[in-house]
Amino acid sequence: MTAPTTGRRLTGAAGWLDERLPRPEQFRSELRGPRTASRVGAWLGACLAVAFITGLFSHAAQLATPPVALPTAPPRLYQVTQGLHVAAGTAAVPLLLVKLWSVFPLLFRRPPGRPRALALHLLERLSIALLVGAVVFQLVTGLANSAQWYPWSFAFVPAHHAMAWVATGALALHVAVKLPVVVRALREPLRVPRLEGADTGAHGDPTRRALLRATWLSAGVAVLATNAAEVPGLRRVALLATRSGAGPQGIPVNRSALAAGVRGRIADPSWRLRLTGPAGARELSLADLRALPQRAAVLPVACVEGWSASGTWAGVPVRELVALAGGGPGDDVVVRSMQSRGSWRSSRLPANFARDPDSLLALDLGGEPLHPDHGYPCRLIAPARPGVLQTKWVGEVEVVPGEPA
Amino acid sequence: MNGRAVAVLRLALGGAGAAGAGYGILLLGRLDPGQVTDVGRWVLGGVVVHDGLLAPLVVALGALVAARGPGWLRIPLVRALVVLGPLTLVAVPVLGRFGAKPDNPTLLDRPYLAGYGAIVAGVVLLTGLDAVRRRRASRRET
Repeated sequence: MTAPTTGRRLTGAAGWLDERLPRPEQFRSELRGPRTASRVGAWLGACLAVAFITGLFSHAAQLATPPVALPTAPPRLYQVTQGLHVAAGTAAVPLLLVKLWSVFPLLFRRPPGRPRALALHLLERLSIALLVGAVVFQLVTGLANSAQWYPWSFAFVPAHHAMAWVATGALALHVAVKLPVVVRALREPLRVPRLEGADTGAHGDPTRRALLRATWLSAGVAVLATNAAEVPGLRRVALLATRSGAGPQGIPVNRSALAAGVRGRIADPSWRLRLTGPAGARELSLADLRALPQRAAVLPVACVEGWSASGTWAGVPVRELVALAGGGPGDDVVVRSMQSRGSWRSSRLPANFARDPDSLLALDLGGEPLHPDHGYPCRLIAPARPGVLQTKWVGEVEVVPGEPA
Repeated sequence: MNGRAVAVLRLALGGAGAAGAGYGILLLGRLDPGQVTDVGRWVLGGVVVHDGLLAPLVVALGALVAARGPGWLRIPLVRALVVLGPLTLVAVPVLGRFGAKPDNPTLLDRPYLAGYGAIVAGVVLLTGLDAVRRRRASRRET
């Protein structure tokens, strides 16, 4: 066998760079490499898969007409899936950073000289750049969104959705390319033979096991500190949660009545709810609504940002309104808010949600009339739905034919 | 997993991955051109900030600890860095309270600086105790 040639001598800018950039073999830590990358990567992949699946579910739930009928039970379904979505994304931050650390020397591989090898090399680099860029994009935009921070000009929802496909696709492609390396690395023992001892190698250097344990610990601490507010009894641990869970009538607010520009309209004593359907249009006062059959239900407000809070809501079941408007069990219900600005001014309740006895046009929360920031005079609250679709300050309810299944 | 199973799995994953990424780029193309440019800036920015700033900083820190740090301090320091580094990045949106709104006191309503300080203090304390324990153990050995 001949010794590998060191290649051409580079000149000009390439030569200047070649002299100054480090070479992969100059990175000395024994802990880098496939054995660390495969193990951290497996957990990172699992977290990203959970975030992708729960994200797609959330996206489908926010469509006016979901591609398939989504379940209305259990009522906490969306609360759980969206909590998982945010927790998985948060756990992915330390996992991604350690994963990238473990393969960082590869960034400094020198491109091969032969054209075919060079093309493959550049293709792989491009796919890795797309993967890293897309995953970092998803984690950064997701975390900023949960704190309602938008330091960019693109619309968050379509961008986060499109990049989810890019990130997950690039991830699957990456796993396909690296699968033989991963399979081999996972079969190899964790410990480098010459580094013996419980968790201390030669000269006190950390072992792979110590690094992996620190990584799992880091993911756990990040998830607890930001997301534990959603788990009963752990709220105090969530020192970095975007919401303490406090709010008027015990529930936090996403958009206030002031921000929605409805303060004048909801204070108007001549307010009427417009109800339209096959039987025509009619107007209902607050007293009319209270005279209709009432029902109470314990339902969560579960926001896409990951927070959620449960309350006891009371009001008119949506199906009573459907019947009053001359509609039937196959009809959808479109609910429109009085708010003059902001997105999510209306939502469409698919027929299976409109039929659910716990889907309410709520008038009360915790035994009192709704707080203005919770949607006074009335709001929609239905089980297993994203918070943005629980339309507040409702001005109009329209019963429309459901989408044919 | 035998070689054939790996080959089939690779082909399926690769095909699905290419299709998924392609669909994502298609979805991205439906945004306004200005928005697509901004998404591109953030994607590229993520790579540049990590590869050009964050990773070299960690490499430099690691080299410093490996060169100067005594053996008994290395594992505690690595643990502290692996826990506090990512946590600090995750905490940026709440520490800065960039999304706070005067009309909504229920958003970003915790004392984040104090909370973050408490976590850092806890990690520093545990790191210190661990380092002292390791130092004593290493002295006993020699």
